[in-house]
Amino acid sequence: MENKTRRAFLQWIAIQMSAVFGGSLLASCGKQEPHSLQTTALPIAKPIQPTEVEPTDAPTQTEQAAAEPSATPNGHPHLAVSRGGEPEALVRHAVAALGGMMRFVSTGDDVIVKPNACVDYRTYEYAATTNPWVVGEIVRLCLEAGAGRVRVMDFPFGGDSESAYWSSGIQEQVLAAGGEMEPIRFLKFVETEIPDALDLKKCQIYEDVLLADVVINVPIAKHHSLARLTLGMKNLMGVIRDRPYMHGNLGQRLADLTSRVHPALTIVDAVRILQRSGPTGGRLSDVQKIDTVIASPDIVAADSYASTLFGLQPTDLSYIVSGLNMGLGQADLATMKIEEIAVGA
Amino acid sequence: MAPDLKKRRRLFSRPWTSLRKLIQALALLSFLALFVVARSETPGSTTNLFLRLDPLLALVNLLASRAFVAGAAVALITVALTFLTGRSWCGWLCPLGTILDWIPLHRWKKGKWTPGEGWRGVKYALLLLTLFAALLGGSTLLIFNPLTILTRGLAVGVWPSLDKLVTAAETALYRLPALRAPVLEIDALLRPLILPPTPLTTRASALFTSLLIVIVLLNLFAERFWCRYLCPLGALLGLMSKVALLRRRIEPGCVSCKLCTDACPMGTIQPADDYASDPGECTMCLECLDDCPLGATTFTPVFSVDPSRAYDPGRRQVLVTLGAALGGMALIRTVDTELNHPYGLLPPGADADEFYSQCVRCGQCMRACPTAALQPALTEAGIEGFWTPVLIPRLGYCDYGCNACGQSCPVEAIPPLPLVLKQEQVIGRVEIDQDRCLPWIEEQECIVCEEVCPLPEKAIELELAEARLPTGEIRILQRPVVIHDLCIGCGMCEYKCPVSGEAAIRVYSHGSGRGKQGGRGRRHD
Repeated sequence: MENKTRRAFLQWIAIQMSAVFGGSLLASCGKQEPHSLQTTALPIAKPIQPTEVEPTDAPTQTEQAAAEPSATPNGHPHLAVSRGGEPEALVRHAVAALGGMMRFVSTGDDVIVKPNACVDYRTYEYAATTNPWVVGEIVRLCLEAGAGRVRVMDFPFGGDSESAYWSSGIQEQVLAAGGEMEPIRFLKFVETEIPDALDLKKCQIYEDVLLADVVINVPIAKHHSLARLTLGMKNLMGVIRDRPYMHGNLGQRLADLTSRVHPALTIVDAVRILQRSGPTGGRLSDVQKIDTVIASPDIVAADSYASTLFGLQPTDLSYIVSGLNMGLGQADLATMKIEEIAVGA
Repeated sequence: MAPDLKKRRRLFSRPWTSLRKLIQALALLSFLALFVVARSETPGSTTNLFLRLDPLLALVNLLASRAFVAGAAVALITVALTFLTGRSWCGWLCPLGTILDWIPLHRWKKGKWTPGEGWRGVKYALLLLTLFAALLGGSTLLIFNPLTILTRGLAVGVWPSLDKLVTAAETALYRLPALRAPVLEIDALLRPLILPPTPLTTRASALFTSLLIVIVLLNLFAERFWCRYLCPLGALLGLMSKVALLRRRIEPGCVSCKLCTDACPMGTIQPADDYASDPGECTMCLECLDDCPLGATTFTPVFSVDPSRAYDPGRRQVLVTLGAALGGMALIRTVDTELNHPYGLLPPGADADEFYSQCVRCGQCMRACPTAALQPALTEAGIEGFWTPVLIPRLGYCDYGCNACGQSCPVEAIPPLPLVLKQEQVIGRVEIDQDRCLPWIEEQECIVCEEVCPLPEKAIELELAEARLPTGEIRILQRPVVIHDLCIGCGMCEYKCPVSGEAAIRVYSHGSGRGKQGGRGRRHD
């Protein structure tokens, strides 16, 4: 510092001070609304996780035993409908009426459960996605029946699978029940021939659905402006990659897809049904809580019954008609053996 | 360099250099880690930290938008660091600087051409031009800021092409049955954190990657070519460093061995000037300190203004750049961006009147956007909006359940709205092209746009219409109609429209009425 002059020092001080003051001036002149820094620190908002925990009302072992006699080994009903209870109880009774999950799932089976988790911005109250407790109970029943592995999957059209699993609330219940969520891996969509198809001869289907020992289809019953209703067969849109193509000849193509995927059991969640603005919904006024679960190994029959919840005839739905034509199941509710169970009260 | 001196280049014999290299590596790794998690649940205010540390971004934003964003005060840390220790940001922290250090192409230098000292003035000219343009409301020149070049280059250049490479490799290997399980395991490690879980489309990746590559290739002519001659942030920090506290000094013991001159990555140690260096160029890398065999190089507190160099900006440069900025802005502003660019859709909540002044062109929102709806504007926003984010619904839709872009913006050019407010922002105006829409031209059923509309009260209604088929048969069809009062222009319909090529339903920019009231009111209606 031998060459330092007073002038140079003062100059240096002046510049340093002006920098300090300038900086603090800038820092203080900003709009001091809490808006600024505070909001940037907010985590990315996600739809609020359902806090209302639906009380578990699973039937006890004795209740289940009591339900079983109605389901004799050779005379299982075609369709079981349970009404008026908590979602878990509805599922448990409906499945028991069909002969129990053991009828569909064997020890060590690899099970895929396919709920509807079509978007990542709706909670279950809006009836756009399958009731999480319905899915959770199905997972539990599969594991009780000895399944080796139960995975739950859907390929949403809004958002990616993992965010939809989370926001729908399905992930929480499935993990609690001991199941796994299968994040969609695009590698697993494989070009698949559909031998029985009348129109959709080839399609990219999610491999695990084809390789699984058992596929359990868990649609939520809701409005759709082209198909009229989204039910079991329409729910299978979530295992293929190119969905827009399906809309061309929807009824027949859904029936073609059903012939290849062939779920062992279809459980229609009608705890809440969406009457309008489907499949995405978003207004509680469009939702009707009817606490109903329909179960059947016959996907056409399950869909047929579910259509009546909306005041429609099964043959009003093009995919039911196509399914009938292809011999995928029955739609005549009058000739079916239907077991109706009142769970509540 | 003599071989016996090379032996001294061991870790502990070069403590300062080793420490600097360690910190450089940590800083670059932090930058990359924050870049990667920017598309996760990590708060945007954390993942944009490096951008907020950049004083040039903060200063230009302040000048151009005339509003101070409190979050940008983080840049004062860098300012304070510079006043204390000179351009240590450049030598110790800048992720682009570290990358340039790690790719020392100058060692393969073939040609004889070396940029003259005068080239150092280029960065000051660029800085002055940037600042004067900012005073006039233009932020376009921030495309030359090192952190925006790096963030944008990674977000829309390197990362999407990395994703394509990995996907291609995975798809090829997945065909072999024996490799399926390991491929799936690797895929599960990579997605969704590092690579996107769904295939995304990004355009002009080659352009943005090339810009990075060019900057690296410039190292062929001189070590840290970018930092020496071009970097506007380096210029800003360099001007501050002229009065920095800690500066390099040569003690009397110097024997003119020139080791420091050879070691200096910035080439600023001048034998002709008694081995003095320009603190505006020195990045405080401390190579010379470790290299000096006699301890004649020291870094000590200095209380003075360092003498001006020939390449430092003078009155003439100031006047010339001011004139250039005035002329440039006048030329750019001859066109009304909104009128000329009907597809220049802004991110949700952005203020159409101010956005091109506020946006710092960093590309952080494009990294955060999970659907790749936000892409760098090429022609959609004119020169003024060059490389600002533009929403291209055909490539990606604005997810109704996401507000990541606003959370990640370092200067709140995209406001950090809570999700419920973001869901009300009107991005554009949607129109159906009845010459392309399937139920209109082919008498074919299609309700996809209505189906995917995420609004609780759908902004697309289906009307029943009678269509006459070529056979003369009359068919009842549903045809989509847009309800403009409800629509927010998220682009889900355009994205999912099954018509090939251009969609039959499109989102158009609707001018400066958008989103200003934070709701659905639009002046143009």
